[in-house]
Amino acid sequence: MARSKTVLVTGVAGYWGTQVADRLVTETDFHVIGLDASRPEQGAQGLDFLQIDVRNPALVDLLRAEEVDAVCHLAFVDALQPNEAAFDLNVMGATKVLGACAEAGVSKVVLKSSTAVYGARPSNSAFLTEDHPLRGSRRVGTIRDMVQIEAFCNGFCRQRAEMAVTVLRFSSIVGPAAVTPMNRYLEDGWAPSLVGFDPLMQLIHEDDVVEALVHAVVNDVPGPFNVAAEDALPLNKVRGLAGKRRRAVLHPFAYWGLGLPGRRSLGIGRHLPLDPDYLRYPWVADLTKMRDELDFSPRYTAEEVLLEFAEQKRMRQHLPQSAVLAQSEERLRAIIKQRERGREWREAQAEAVAETKPDDGARSDAEAPSDISETGAGSNVEQGGEDE
Amino acid sequence: MSNEETRARCEALTQAGDPCKNYALVDSVYCQVHAKMAVEQVGLAGDLAQREGGSVRDLPQQEEGSVGDLAQQGVAQREGGGVEQEGSVGDLAQQEIAQREAQATSDEQVREQLIAELDELTERVQATTPDYQPPPFSPNRFVALVEELLKKLPADVQLDVLDKFRSALRKDLLDMELVKGAWYMINHTVEYNVDVVKRRFTGEYDVDEWGLDWEFLDAVLPFFNFLYKIYWRVDASGLDNIPVQGRALLVANHSGQLPWDGMMVGTAVLTGHPAQRLVRTLYGSVVPTVPFLSAWATRLGQTLASVENGTMLLELDELVAVFPEGYKGAGKPFKDRYNLARFGRGGFVRMALDTGAPIIPVSVVGAEETNISLAKLPIGSSTSSIPYLPITLTFPWLGLLGFWPLPTKWYIDFGEPIPMETYGPDASRNLVLVSQLTDHVRNVVQDMVHERLAQRRSIFF
Repeated sequence: MARSKTVLVTGVAGYWGTQVADRLVTETDFHVIGLDASRPEQGAQGLDFLQIDVRNPALVDLLRAEEVDAVCHLAFVDALQPNEAAFDLNVMGATKVLGACAEAGVSKVVLKSSTAVYGARPSNSAFLTEDHPLRGSRRVGTIRDMVQIEAFCNGFCRQRAEMAVTVLRFSSIVGPAAVTPMNRYLEDGWAPSLVGFDPLMQLIHEDDVVEALVHAVVNDVPGPFNVAAEDALPLNKVRGLAGKRRRAVLHPFAYWGLGLPGRRSLGIGRHLPLDPDYLRYPWVADLTKMRDELDFSPRYTAEEVLLEFAEQKRMRQHLPQSAVLAQSEERLRAIIKQRERGREWREAQAEAVAETKPDDGARSDAEAPSDISETGAGSNVEQGGEDE
Repeated sequence: MSNEETRARCEALTQAGDPCKNYALVDSVYCQVHAKMAVEQVGLAGDLAQREGGSVRDLPQQEEGSVGDLAQQGVAQREGGGVEQEGSVGDLAQQEIAQREAQATSDEQVREQLIAELDELTERVQATTPDYQPPPFSPNRFVALVEELLKKLPADVQLDVLDKFRSALRKDLLDMELVKGAWYMINHTVEYNVDVVKRRFTGEYDVDEWGLDWEFLDAVLPFFNFLYKIYWRVDASGLDNIPVQGRALLVANHSGQLPWDGMMVGTAVLTGHPAQRLVRTLYGSVVPTVPFLSAWATRLGQTLASVENGTMLLELDELVAVFPEGYKGAGKPFKDRYNLARFGRGGFVRMALDTGAPIIPVSVVGAEETNISLAKLPIGSSTSSIPYLPITLTFPWLGLLGFWPLPTKWYIDFGEPIPMETYGPDASRNLVLVSQLTDHVRNVVQDMVHERLAQRRSIFF
């Protein structure tokens, strides 16, 4: 490679932007430029930060001047209620970034979306493929905006075929650090499920989200992809594994609650981070394309994601405030465990790539989970020993 | 006459438990009938011996009937509530008991053997859960446990077991060691049941990728079996037309306002077919919107009727059932009974052509009379997601109770498979062929229904 590639990451002050930028600067041959309207709390070493709003009309000149090769667009605000400010940043921001990229001749754009854009409907098949029509909920701002972005993106890609746009549609994201609808749902003791409904849910770990975004930036894989952990679990099982109390309401009440005029002051919306439709009907995405074309396999299974989440939650809830030291010790251990997992997984991936066999994709799939379980068990034993 | 009296009688017992009155063969101690049975018995698999309990009891020289029964019933009962894994342990134990009983000659020997076998069984169970320690033994708690476990059985069986238990005690067959062995196993069963409930709550159970939950299926199967064997006395024929493995598409007529026919077709194959296959029934889009029905259907491995779902299941070599008449068939008024409605838009034929799965026509007779629909209420599809609301003899007069089905006599016939591989790979795009095949399958099912109706004498018997 004659020249190192230049990647522009938008929204680097947000959680996803920070994480992706952190990971990208560790990749060799990458010059990472970070954009955001506000300054990140701690910038990554080697990140070229510019305090600029993505809606800036001169963005196209920046892209041209820096000869940006790829853009990872992560400037997005989660909004429970559809509102104009969020729409302006999310949808208008995305259209402006896409437009600027096309004008500046950026060859690749990576977008983060959600499988919620398919919508939870009674007529959904058991596995929704990427070409399923986008009929996501119009009640939740985040999903509504994502559907708008994807609809625009579809049309835009047809006009500008020379630009490769990768859209990663993630299932419900769960993890100890990120703030996501599913995290809020599992943490909120009052967030209900619906009486007599138990749809299958797909989950993905927050680290796998970052890993998949970096994977899409590094490799050339245009098109929309569903990304989720392999196993879909019934909502009831998700609740049980996450250590969340059983709290079910009749489904008409959930819908009425969302429609009440005083819902915000009553706090009803806060306890329904997921649209009731998504707790009622199936919206499991098909992962064939993720395995075969994207060539990505998440490190965590859905059960591991939830067990880790439950452990973190227990630690937060039941440790007394005075035991901050113990808590931070536990937290450091958890971080060490996570980093160990990440390193081993990356090594396994590297090995799989090194072995230039035709079936190396399948091999790495088989190896990665076993590594994870080993390290998990090992660190548990260590912890147990030191506690005594 | 005198010659006959000197001949020895057969030493075996008949099925009724009386001594056999036939004369023994010249070179044997058994008569013609029992000599043959004794030879067969040696070759028979233990599993068979267990199912046809009568033939085990027919075995010669089995004087200690009550002892054997107690051991068998006791083992079967203790293991009955447990896991499948333990069930197989029970099978093994029964096999060995049956074999050794044949050789026993006296009470004392039987007693020693029983103790040895129980010890052996205890060891095997212990090997599966080495960490488990039973709570200390006390007669009161033991009796309480026995009472609890017996509750599941009908009263006459309970009395029978208790009677045998009592007589065994009187004969001093149960010493403390043996009772402790039994105590251990009963405790293990109870612990297991408690564990199941706990695991349901904490989410430590497994489902397949379609949401099928075997534990749930096992729990509700007794209800379906009750409907199948006692309530509707279903007569299933032609089950051998269903392949033991590999894909196949069952196509059945739909009737009876509620989808009981789908459940009974599934129960017929799950309980009556030699491979005990699970049927994946494709349901209409109203099911996911109904509380409980939605969750239960998914847990039982059923899924929504869409061409993608059906094709994917058939490609996984599953047994799929469809009711192509849909709501038109289930909700048809009583005057149109057993006249099949239009068979959808032929989606099921396209699934079969794409996957090369044979179509097995199925006729269900008897379901039509479970809910007699006189007319349809004018509200329905236009105002809500409910596809239809019938006026039946009991609904809406009795409220939701009016939907409880009548106890008619059912017949489910599985017809000859119609092969679909011969049409080539792109056949599903040939709309003429698809519509021809759709009509053909419909006619086959209609003929099967008419044939069965001609043989039927009464709705209820």
